[in-house]
Amino acid sequence: MAEMLTGVTVRSRVVGGAAVVYASDYLNKLSGERIERECRLQLEAGRRALVVNFRDTELVNSIGVSILMGIIDAAESVGAQLVFSDMSAQTVELFEMLGLTRFVALAKTEAEALATLSGFAAASQGSGH
Amino acid sequence: MSPKKPNNGHQRERILSRVAADEFVGRTGALERIVKLSADREARGLLLLLAPSAGVSELLRQAYDQLFHAHTEAVPVYFSLSRKEKNPAQVARRFLYAFLQQLAAFHLREPRLVNASLTKTDLLDLSPPADYEWIERLLAIAESESAGHDEQSLVRLCLSVPERAMTKGVRSFVMLDAAQLIEASEMEISLGAEFVRALTRSRIPFVLAGLRRQVLDLVHNTLGDFDGLERLHLDRLDDDEAGRLVEYVTRREQVGLNDATRDLIVQQLDGSPLFINALVEAAREKKRPLTSFRNCQRLYVEEVMGGRIHRHFSSIMDELAPTSELRRALIRLLYETSASDTRKSTVEVWRKRLDITSAQLQRLLHGLNVHELANVNGSLVEMNSAPLVWHDYLRARYEWEVLAEPRASVLAGLLTELLKRAPQTMEQHYRREAALGLGDLLSLFDCQRVPASLLHYDRFSRLYKGLDAEEAASLLEAETDLVRLPQIVSVANTTAFHPPVQMQLEEGRSVIAHGFDAGSYSEASEVVWLAAEIDSKMEAGRGLAEMWHNRLTHLARTRSFERVRVWLISREGFTNDALEFLNEQEAYSSSRRQLEALTSRIGQGEIKQAQATDEFELAIPMGEETELIAAHTVEQIARRSKFQPEAINQIKTALIEACINATEHSLSTDRKIYQRFRLESDRLVVTVSSRGLRLPENYLETDVPGRSNGNGQEEKAQGRRGWGLRLIRTLMDEVEFERVDDGTRLRMTKYLRKP
Repeated sequence: MAEMLTGVTVRSRVVGGAAVVYASDYLNKLSGERIERECRLQLEAGRRALVVNFRDTELVNSIGVSILMGIIDAAESVGAQLVFSDMSAQTVELFEMLGLTRFVALAKTEAEALATLSGFAAASQGSGH
Repeated sequence: MSPKKPNNGHQRERILSRVAADEFVGRTGALERIVKLSADREARGLLLLLAPSAGVSELLRQAYDQLFHAHTEAVPVYFSLSRKEKNPAQVARRFLYAFLQQLAAFHLREPRLVNASLTKTDLLDLSPPADYEWIERLLAIAESESAGHDEQSLVRLCLSVPERAMTKGVRSFVMLDAAQLIEASEMEISLGAEFVRALTRSRIPFVLAGLRRQVLDLVHNTLGDFDGLERLHLDRLDDDEAGRLVEYVTRREQVGLNDATRDLIVQQLDGSPLFINALVEAAREKKRPLTSFRNCQRLYVEEVMGGRIHRHFSSIMDELAPTSELRRALIRLLYETSASDTRKSTVEVWRKRLDITSAQLQRLLHGLNVHELANVNGSLVEMNSAPLVWHDYLRARYEWEVLAEPRASVLAGLLTELLKRAPQTMEQHYRREAALGLGDLLSLFDCQRVPASLLHYDRFSRLYKGLDAEEAASLLEAETDLVRLPQIVSVANTTAFHPPVQMQLEEGRSVIAHGFDAGSYSEASEVVWLAAEIDSKMEAGRGLAEMWHNRLTHLARTRSFERVRVWLISREGFTNDALEFLNEQEAYSSSRRQLEALTSRIGQGEIKQAQATDEFELAIPMGEETELIAAHTVEQIARRSKFQPEAINQIKTALIEACINATEHSLSTDRKIYQRFRLESDRLVVTVSSRGLRLPENYLETDVPGRSNGNGQEEKAQGRRGWGLRLIRTLMDEVEFERVDDGTRLRMTKYLRKP
């Protein structure tokens, strides 16, 4: 599946029935909102399996994290599954500190995340969206 | 990890203190010591030994207020002597009444009573019921003694009040201020001695504060020894403390200041709280900001010629020389002796020139000695070179009164001279600050064996140049060619041995150290080290090395030092031809790096820890992700101290949160975030501040956890409030918020941990 840029700079791609959204190097209010927007668009398009890939993310601030909370809630509200992948040890530590890891699944790699979500991805495809 | 509670000293009602507790700077250790002493049942007395102009009154008043509000077991009593009081009986009666008044105020917990004007009847009415009887009786006896003519008996009775109170179960803690004033020569009774006897007899802890030379003489002459009495020296404030004081006082008095003038004031006023307060108050009264050297010097000259500083020194002069004729002669003699090359004169010359009796001269010289304006040593009188303020005052009075020059001319002359001097004063300060601390290092020499390469730049350069510090340290450890250092018993600045005009040395950059090789106290092993720090940006050349070597060896010859060792230090080391010369002369040579290695080896890092400090400042505009610039900056700084990548990331994240915090909360009009990064040997301290709204006092208690239920509704309702602070507190080792006048300052510390 081809990667594409949506909005200003957020990259995303669809793999099977799952959407993968790529976070930028600094997760703050602006980049967080872009991710949120992209995730909502994917959910509105009927995707029920989302991966947010943090492979490029070096720094995270609390506003960015709070926006991730909003994404978790948005996914939950439509019964979608969300997995965060490719996070550095520091980012994981930060998410743990703020209690985020209690509400979202983590995967070491994007492939692992997609494997976890394969059932939901199939459901997304089957839903006709 | 928990942050300190904000200092609430500013909320405490001031009783005797003149400034709020949180604005009282520079004497924290002494204040704690005094407060602790009041509760110590084993303690007797504490002698607070002051350097001239060091200031002690506010310290004691702060202690009083703190003890009063803490409602300690011991009743705090503060008593200050006035320069104008010459009658011992009056002073003693005033002490008795002050004691009883402060006892009543403390008992009733009524601070206003401390400063109230009370009659004897008021005192009795306000006395604690349990104490009424003995107080009434004591006052009655005092009245009857007053009616009689036995002054000594009355003095002793009045001064015995702490002891009498103690026998009735009232434990007091007397703080006696300005004790140097109670030894006026015309008094038949030595009030100082009476106070010392009464306080030591009373079995209560007490503080006796006064000029160090006088208090020591007084106690020694009265008691014979210092048995059971502690001593605490109060010197001038150090530069940092004095700088903080200048900042506090100018802010309080709403007088403009900048960094450059603050430093000039500290240097020129010799860190004296008395003079600093005088200058700033003058600036406030005359509505002149201290924002330029010109303004500072103009105000200073006016102070020296007619303000509080003038009155301070003039009262000393009036005390020393009561008649105008004698004062004039004294000023002439003091100035001319100070201006001479040797700064010395004989006692006989003084007697002849002042035309006074031996007894009068003795008293006068004693006064000069007590105020440390001169040192009297046998038949010689030697002028002290410090402080600058005294010499400026002396010069002004000499030109005005002795040379009879017009006041305007004296003022103009002094002002222009001071403006020319200001950059030099600062230059000396910068050089002193940058000095390597040779004296401290040499005083640690105690027969240790150290690698020879630390004292030979050529070897060190050959073996260790280009290696990092750790690598060099481990190779130094393995070095087998060792030099045994002497045991140093005395270290002094070279200027103490040689007139500064000839040597042109900055204090501390050249020292003479007397000691013994192998720790053997024999003539044969006696050795004198002459060490000097050479000012050179590059490796010092032969010319410079030769000049310094010759200068020091010449000094050694003139002082008849027999065995000497010359040790030259140049920041970047020495050129080959300089080393050739120094090796021929068997002189030691070191660079700054060698000196640091030597210091860490024999001093266990205790010398000049400040040298390991590195400080950076950064101001960023708010918004536009500028916090990333701050984060990248702190990353580079943390790397210099070899913080681990994980710790660096934590520091960066905490700093980003602090920047966001400042942006969100301050409503700052200048829209800037000011950051300071201080690297110390074991930590990185990051200070983030912004001008604008201050954070609410309960801000630190704000701590919102993550989602507490499964649906995130609570989290949505509360937003992410508190997350930033929570992160900062978790990621950093120490976090402290300070509400300052114009905003909030956050200080975060991260300690360096070895992997």
